[in-house]
Amino acid sequence: MAFFFLNVQLFAHGDLSMRIAEKTIEISEEPNNFKLYYERGLLYQQHNEYSDALEDYRKSQALGNTEKAVHYRIAEVYCLTEDYNEALKSIGFYLELDNIDVKAKKLEAQILFQLQSYKKSLEAYRYVIHTMVDTRPEDILEYCDIILAENNKNYKGALEVIQSGLEQLGSHTLSLQLKKLDYLKDSGQTEKALEQYNYFILQYNRKEFWYYKKAKYLAEINKPHEAFISLKLATVAIGQLQPKFKNMSPVLKLIEQIKSLKSSINNQKS
Amino acid sequence: MIKKSIFLIAALCSVYSFAQTSVVDMPNVSSVVMTNKVDLPQNSPSVVVQRGPYLQSGTPTSVVVKWRTDTATESVVRYGTLLGSLSMNETITNITTEHEVTLTGLMPNTKYYFNIGNRTEVLSESVTGDMYVITAPTAGTKQFVRAWILGDAGTANNNQRNVRDAYYDYVANAPINTDKTDMMLFLGDNAYKNGTDEEYQNAFFNIYDAMLKKSVAWSCLGNHDGYSAESATQSGPYYDIFTFPTSAEAGGTASGTEAYYSFDYANIHFIILDSHHTSRAVGGAMYNWTLTDIQNTKQDWIVTLFHHPVYTKGSHDSDTEDRLIEMRENFMPMMEANGVDLILNGHSHSYERSYFLNGHYGFANTFNPDEILNGGHTVGPNGKGDGKTDSNGAYQKTSGAAEGAVYITTGSAGKISGGDLDHQAMSVSLNQLGSCVMEVEDDGRGGQNLTVKFMRDTDGIDDYFTINKTDIGLKANVKEPEQIGVGLFYDAQVDLIKLNLDKNERLKNVKFYNNIGKLVKKSRKKTINVGKLPKGLYVIEVITNIKAYTESITIE
Repeated sequence: MAFFFLNVQLFAHGDLSMRIAEKTIEISEEPNNFKLYYERGLLYQQHNEYSDALEDYRKSQALGNTEKAVHYRIAEVYCLTEDYNEALKSIGFYLELDNIDVKAKKLEAQILFQLQSYKKSLEAYRYVIHTMVDTRPEDILEYCDIILAENNKNYKGALEVIQSGLEQLGSHTLSLQLKKLDYLKDSGQTEKALEQYNYFILQYNRKEFWYYKKAKYLAEINKPHEAFISLKLATVAIGQLQPKFKNMSPVLKLIEQIKSLKSSINNQKS
Repeated sequence: MIKKSIFLIAALCSVYSFAQTSVVDMPNVSSVVMTNKVDLPQNSPSVVVQRGPYLQSGTPTSVVVKWRTDTATESVVRYGTLLGSLSMNETITNITTEHEVTLTGLMPNTKYYFNIGNRTEVLSESVTGDMYVITAPTAGTKQFVRAWILGDAGTANNNQRNVRDAYYDYVANAPINTDKTDMMLFLGDNAYKNGTDEEYQNAFFNIYDAMLKKSVAWSCLGNHDGYSAESATQSGPYYDIFTFPTSAEAGGTASGTEAYYSFDYANIHFIILDSHHTSRAVGGAMYNWTLTDIQNTKQDWIVTLFHHPVYTKGSHDSDTEDRLIEMRENFMPMMEANGVDLILNGHSHSYERSYFLNGHYGFANTFNPDEILNGGHTVGPNGKGDGKTDSNGAYQKTSGAAEGAVYITTGSAGKISGGDLDHQAMSVSLNQLGSCVMEVEDDGRGGQNLTVKFMRDTDGIDDYFTINKTDIGLKANVKEPEQIGVGLFYDAQVDLIKLNLDKNERLKNVKFYNNIGKLVKKSRKKTINVGKLPKGLYVIEVITNIKAYTESITIE
C-alpha cells in the first residue's frame, strides 16, 4: 500500500505515466527492440524526463535505429535542456538525411537563434516560411524576431513579413496587427502608428482600452491635446458599457489610469 | 527522475493499480468503417460516403458541411427550409474525396434540411428529416441554448456509447426543446490513443454520426489529438478533420489559427484555447489574443474550453503538471477579471466540479472556501454551496459583478481513471462515466439561468448546478441626446447643436473630434448645424473667454 502511494506520486502525469509503464513491460519482454526504446523515449520526453528520454533514444540508435526521426528527437531534447551545441549536431545529422524537411529546418533555425548565429538562423527560417503550407501567426512572429535579431534596424523587413502574414492568415489576425503596431512605434513611424491605433479603435466593439493606449502614446510623442481628446473618448466609451463591464477590475483600473494620465498631461501643460 | 530499477517494479504495480481504477477496454482499431446510411435512397449510389456529413463553424448566416467519399467526385449540398423541397444548392466542381462546402447567405435561427452528393446523385440524405442545420441566432439574442459537452470521449468502446446513449435519451425526452442540441463541445482527446484519422473514424464519426449530421461540433486540442496533430504547422488529422473560424467568421477576434479561436452563439461568447501545443505564457500570442477577445465581447455569458484542467485531483494533478499550472496561473487571473462564467476542461478521466470561485490560482491546499470579501475564494453568500436551486440555491452573478465562475473537469465521456478526487476547490468529485449538458434559459425575472448537468452513462443526473444572472442585457445609462452637457443641447430633429453661454461669457471656438480623435469641424457660432457630419461618436471641445470644456455626442 505504501509502495502504491509512492507509485502514484511518481506517476503524476496519469495516462502518460501508464503508457511509460506499459512500454517498460514491453521492453522487458523484448530488450533488443530499438523501436520500443524510441517509443518510450518519446513518452519520457512528453513527461519532461529528458535524461531518460535521451538515454532511450541513444539506446535505440545503439540497437540499430537509423531512422532520421531519432536525430530530430535528440535535437529536441537537447533544446529542451538548453544544450544548443549538441542540438545543432543532432539536427545536422537529420538534415544530412533529409535537407528539405520544413520541421527540421525550423528547429535548426531556432537552435541557431539560441546560439546567436542570426544570419544562418534567418537563412534556415526563410526556407521554412517560404515552404510551409499551414503557417500560423506564431511562425510569422518568430521569423520577425530573427530578422530583428540579425539587424535591429530592419523594421522594414519585419513589417513586410507581417504584411505578408496578414495577407496569408487574414487581414485582422490580432497578434500580427499588434506586432505591426509595436514595430511602427519602435521604428519611430508615429503617423503610421497612430493609424494603427485607429485601426484597432475602428475594428473592435469595445474601444475604451484602445483609446487609452492611443492617448498614452500621444502623450509619449508630446501631443498632449490629442491625448486629452483620446482620453475623453475612452471615458465616453466606458460610460457606454453595460454595468457589468464597468465594474470589472480591468475597467476600474483603466479609469484610474485615465485619471492619472489626464493629471500628468495637465501637469505638463502647467 | 525515476530510477530505472524502481521504475520497472513500479510499472508492474501500476498496471495492476490502473486496472483497478479504469474500466476502459481499449478497442482494436479496425479499418475505416463505412458510415451507416440510414434513410439512403433505394438505389444505392455509385460513390460511397465514408464519413459524415458533419457540420462545422456554424454562424447566423453560414455553415460548413464536410464529408468523405471513397472515390473522388464533385461536392454538392442541396438545402432548403422544407424537407421535401431542397431548392438551393452549393456546388464545387473540383473532384475530391475530402468534401468541404460552405453554405452562405442563410437566415439566422433557421432550420435548413440538406443532403449531400455530386452533380448526378444524392449520396446521403435523411427522408425523415434528421439531417439539418439550425443556424446560430444573431449574436446577443437571449434564448434557450443547449450544448452537449464531451471530454476525453474517444475510446470507441461501450463506455463511450453508453454515455452517448444516455444523452440521446435525455434530449429525446427533454420536457422543453425536445431533441434540440445547438452544439457539441469536445474537450479534446476525441480519439485514442493518438488521434489518427482511423481512430477518429472509430471513436468520433462512427459513434456520433447521427448527432454530427444535425449539430455543429466544436473542439479544443487534447494531448492525444496532439500526438498526431501538429499545432505548429496546423497539420495532421485533428486540423484536417475540423474547420474552425480563424478570421472571426463566427464572432469574436481573428486569431489567424485553428488552434485557438472564439465564436458567438446567441448571447454566449465561447473562447477555445490550445493548452497543449501553443505557448501558455503571459504576453504570448495566445494570451494577447485571449485578452483582446475577452475584452471585446459584449455577450452576457462567457464560456471557455481547453483540455488541461485548472483544478483536478483525478488521473492528473493540477498541483504538479506544468500545462495545468500555467493555464491556472497565467490565463485564469485575466479571464476571471474579465468576467468568464464557466470553464470546461478534460484530461482527467473523472467529473470534478468547483464551487463558485474567484482568485484561486495556487495549489489545492491554498484554497480558502470563505467569500472573497473575507479573503477567501468563493463568491457570494452561497458560493461555497452546491449551486443547486433546490438545495443551497443557485450561484448568483448580478449584472454589476464580474466575479464568480464554475470550473468543470469533465473527462469521463469515454473512460474513468480514478485518482484521489479530493481537490479542495471542488464541490463534487466523481469517478463516473458521463458527459455534461449546458442549458441557458430565462429565469422568468428578466435574467437567465445557466445550468450544467452531469449525465451518467446509466441515464441518471449525478450532479447539477445553476448560475443565475440578473438583468441580462441591461443597457448602460446613456444620456438623453438632447441633454449632452450643462451648456450644450443637441436637437436631432433639425441636426442642431446649441450652446448656452453665461451672461459674461464669449464663445471663442467650438471643435468637433470624431471617433478616432480627428478634428473634423470648427465653428464660432452658438448654433451649429451638424447635419453633414457622419453618424457616430464625437467629442465637442468648447472654448470661451472664461473656460474650456469637452462634451461627447452621438450623432444618429
